[in-house]
Amino acid sequence: MKTDIVQLFDNPYLALGATIAVIMAYLSVNAIMLIWLERKLSARIQRRIGPQRGPWGLMQQIFDMGKLLSKELLTPAHANKLLYVIAPIMVFAPVVALSSLFPITRTYIFHDFNIAIVLILAISGINVVGIFLAGWGSNNKYALLGAVRSVAQNISYEIPLILSVIPIVMITRTMSLYDIALAQSAYPFVLVQPIALIIFIIAATAETNRAPFDIPEAESELVAGFHTEYSGMRFGLFFFAEYSHMIFACALATVLFLGGWHGPILPDAVWFFIKVYALIVLMMWFRWTFPRLRFDQLMKFAWVVLVPLSLINLLITTLVLKLV
Amino acid sequence: MGLVKEIIDGSKTLLSGMKVTWDNFRKPPVTSQYPIEKIEMSEAFRNVIVLIEKEDIGSHDCIDCKACERVCPSFCISLDGERPEGLRRKRATEFMVDFALCSDCGLCLDVCPTDTLGYSKVHDEAGYHRSDFLYDLIEPWADKEEAARKRLKEIEAKQAEERAQRAAARKAKKAVKKPSRKPSGAR
Repeated sequence: MKTDIVQLFDNPYLALGATIAVIMAYLSVNAIMLIWLERKLSARIQRRIGPQRGPWGLMQQIFDMGKLLSKELLTPAHANKLLYVIAPIMVFAPVVALSSLFPITRTYIFHDFNIAIVLILAISGINVVGIFLAGWGSNNKYALLGAVRSVAQNISYEIPLILSVIPIVMITRTMSLYDIALAQSAYPFVLVQPIALIIFIIAATAETNRAPFDIPEAESELVAGFHTEYSGMRFGLFFFAEYSHMIFACALATVLFLGGWHGPILPDAVWFFIKVYALIVLMMWFRWTFPRLRFDQLMKFAWVVLVPLSLINLLITTLVLKLV
Repeated sequence: MGLVKEIIDGSKTLLSGMKVTWDNFRKPPVTSQYPIEKIEMSEAFRNVIVLIEKEDIGSHDCIDCKACERVCPSFCISLDGERPEGLRRKRATEFMVDFALCSDCGLCLDVCPTDTLGYSKVHDEAGYHRSDFLYDLIEPWADKEEAARKRLKEIEAKQAEERAQRAAARKAKKAVKKPSRKPSGAR
């Protein structure tokens, strides 16, 4: 039925290199296109035209990338140089590592891992460390404040995120993303777990530090938050990471709740990406609609609303599974 | 239960907020690509004054009456003119406007007897010195002046002819009416 692309190669290092190359290429192009999409969407929502260079403004992002690549990499005085340099890599690397786990079609998958969900929830937490290193290492009060906020926010929202994934694992009795997607051939799990999906989307929006949960980089308060001091391609890496985290979170939601590749007529991969990009557009729509939460509102929302709601959802799921 | 109500109400407001952005998303953009495309200014737009072309003359019709110069509250207009050979009217030879002083009050347009003053539709002048806003309104018409004077002569000749005809008609009328007024005239 399915083939692990990784196993097609004789040499495991070659397999690793090929996988990383494909994923990096996809994530870079994807980030550039998503930045373009976001700018166009925000422009239309605010009744502007948006980027205009090239056909439909597509060249704008290429030029922006060229600008970022050619800019000088500045390191602030008294910064902790090691932490400052590795922080953007630590923010970006987890996404690259985890993207290979997603089953895009039913026939080919980079690598099917039987405890993929545990791995994803564990490794995606590393980006919090990266953000904190960025804030700490750059020796800037705004960056540090942003990093502190980010850590508090990410740790708080990881709990409802995990609690909203557990019901799916309980239903399917597997942690492999491929098997979870396969289990949704009859119906997507959003029909039985709508509350879990809503909680997941909200928590994922917070995990990716996007508006209305963008207080770690709140422009009006903290300049640019944890990446205030970054320039050139180091800043570009944070930028890439934000959009890569978006597509990562949306792909996870697609596999867990929207049935992965399942869909009529169109090929598997097309259905997968339609669902992923629909969710991404939804997240962009959130960003350009909702105002930023205050910090206490953010914490209250996580601990008073999302955590109890996901616990109740978990409890009901357990009872129903036990009774049926 | 207060919390549940809060969640439901909050969700409703979130949805209505998203509807607002969706409605705006569907409407066309209201901005324009400014340096590339210039927008058409409205009729009521006021900026520096210009001389408007009169169709029958093929140029402006400023007769150097100095009404605008006198009425201007900011003293930003200075005019000079001459009477060309064979013309009844004067023609302006110099019309300077110091836009740095102008307050766009529009009095000069109101007093202009030939209605040859109007507002320019330019909206984006910028300069480094005050002297950059010293506008010479005659200069753009300089190459048309010769032709305009020729046409003015024709127009004035025609007008003179009409005037003569009218005068003749009046005289004829008077001549006809004379007998009836005789009694009073006889005394």
